[in-house]
Amino acid sequence: MILPATDTLPCTAGIGLRATHYREVLESLPRLGWVEVHNENFFGGGAPLNTLLKVREHYPVSLHGVGMGLASSAPLDSAHLSALQRLCAVVQPAAVSEHLCWNTASGMVINDLLPFPYTHQALSHVANRVDQVQEKLGRQLLVENLSSYLSFAHSEMTEGEFLAELTSRSGCGILFDVENLYVNVRNLGVDAMAFIKAMPAEAVKEYHLAGYSIREGCLVDTHDHPVYPEVWQLYEQVLSHLGARPTLIEWDADIPELTVLMGEAAKAQQRMEHIHGYAE
Amino acid sequence: MNNRHLLSAAISSLLALGLTTSTASAADKKMDMEKCFGVAKAGKNDCSSSKSAHSCAGQGTKNNDPADFVAVPKGTCEKLANGTLESK
Amino acid sequence: MATLNDELADFARAIVLRTALSPQINLSYPNYSAEVAIEVYRNNYRGNLHDTLAGAYPVVEQLVGNDFFRLLTHKYIEQQLSANANLHHYGAEMASFIATFEPARELIYLSDVAALEWACHCAYFAEDADSIDLARLAQIPPEQYENLHLYLHPACQLIPSKYPIADIWHAHQPGADSEFHIDLHKGSCNALVSRKENVVCVSELPVAAAEWLLSIQAGIALGAATDAVLESHPDFDLQSLLIKLLHLGMLVDGDRGE
Repeated sequence: MILPATDTLPCTAGIGLRATHYREVLESLPRLGWVEVHNENFFGGGAPLNTLLKVREHYPVSLHGVGMGLASSAPLDSAHLSALQRLCAVVQPAAVSEHLCWNTASGMVINDLLPFPYTHQALSHVANRVDQVQEKLGRQLLVENLSSYLSFAHSEMTEGEFLAELTSRSGCGILFDVENLYVNVRNLGVDAMAFIKAMPAEAVKEYHLAGYSIREGCLVDTHDHPVYPEVWQLYEQVLSHLGARPTLIEWDADIPELTVLMGEAAKAQQRMEHIHGYAE
Repeated sequence: MNNRHLLSAAISSLLALGLTTSTASAADKKMDMEKCFGVAKAGKNDCSSSKSAHSCAGQGTKNNDPADFVAVPKGTCEKLANGTLESK
Repeated sequence: MATLNDELADFARAIVLRTALSPQINLSYPNYSAEVAIEVYRNNYRGNLHDTLAGAYPVVEQLVGNDFFRLLTHKYIEQQLSANANLHHYGAEMASFIATFEPARELIYLSDVAALEWACHCAYFAEDADSIDLARLAQIPPEQYENLHLYLHPACQLIPSKYPIADIWHAHQPGADSEFHIDLHKGSCNALVSRKENVVCVSELPVAAAEWLLSIQAGIALGAATDAVLESHPDFDLQSLLIKLLHLGMLVDGDRGE
């Protein structure tokens, strides 16, 4: 199959495309800059992959992984990596990303995105694994900052410093999730401006925006609400410091009508276009 | 041999189906009797993938420890005639 | 100094096995306690696996109701730790788990319904295969038909049951009439799972056809498979079966790039 060539995401707003909206998107082909999907949903091939390939004929696709476990201490799962390589070969994505997190220890797999101590030991470990992934895929991997609910007492650097150092060691890019940063500001007392300033602007290739929910004082990254005003505000700050980048609206639970997602994307687009209007 | 005749009749009908669209559509009508559900029909429920989809989001609803629940099925199983070993 | 491996293993145990948090994790946060936070992770772990099971077993969930299903998945998750980052592999043991799950003992058909749902789940993700090449089949002289090997689509699976599981499955699909009447003891059923393009189908096969299908799946030639069935079922209708399989997209090309 000949697919429209796209090796980078357009600098516009896109949406996370979930199964709920496959059919509507394929039937109505709405104006969307690009879409992002979760890799693992297409690993088996079969019907889901057929659907994604139809979507890919019309839109640039970003492949966003949730299961690689870049910081897990067990060796990289070679079957997982090979599945991603095969997926990339057929989908020809405009971007490939993963999270700065772990999911496997002592034989236990936790299907979640878990934080780890930001130590020099962990940095070497993660950089080495990012290298392996990039080598296998033959392309740059974008690594995303995490929403965290707990932190480690003996971290030797901040998450922002860790990411910056990771890009310089491995050549990976950064997927800057603005909502995740906001969650960490509220949960862990992270300094938002210090995080933004730690980001090497040229390595930042994509932004994420989403809504969270609050449980007993803890912000949980549930992706089940519109983007909150505080997060829009932080996004504006990020835009003015780092510049416009392809920006994704993520919505994963209680998913609304497609038009609602597109409305959120339009709000992001509008802010990207007024970037110079925001004070630093 | 009897079976050989049966094989050639069966295969011939397959071949005929491949060659003539009219036969195919007649058989397609017969196929309407078979119910198929999935992406095409379900729409909002993308077969098995809608809920089992991988996501990078945390859990919104609290999965309460159900250990104290009275373990009595209360679903559509009540509509199945002779549905349990016990007679009601 | 603790290694990364030890730290992550401690964290994993706190989530999965509910052990206490290790002292390497900060205990104080601006707006909540560490206990609240670890509960968020425990809830994510359980909730993601629960949702995965709910995605694979929607008919079982409707049959037993939401609360009972939560109990069922809770016990399943306790017993079956996740072993793969790809959640689509999780839940494969549900049918055998239900068979031993005491609170569901009276629902004698439930385990078979779960087996059928897992087959549908697998069919959805099964590899594609090219349809049988009828032009090439037409080149084969009839006297060679008995040595012919037919190939079935990777999604094709037969689930036999003493209960009408295909009827039960259909009655619980989106858009089905909620006022269904199924007699559980109407007789056994050979549920056939197939996939045509992206749509998973459940249909039924008569006993003779089911026996034939299993022989073909086992790699037995057309002649021998048919002879064996005719011995016990002289009225076996091969012609209808082949047409049905063709329409379900289940007859595929043998040379599929192996």
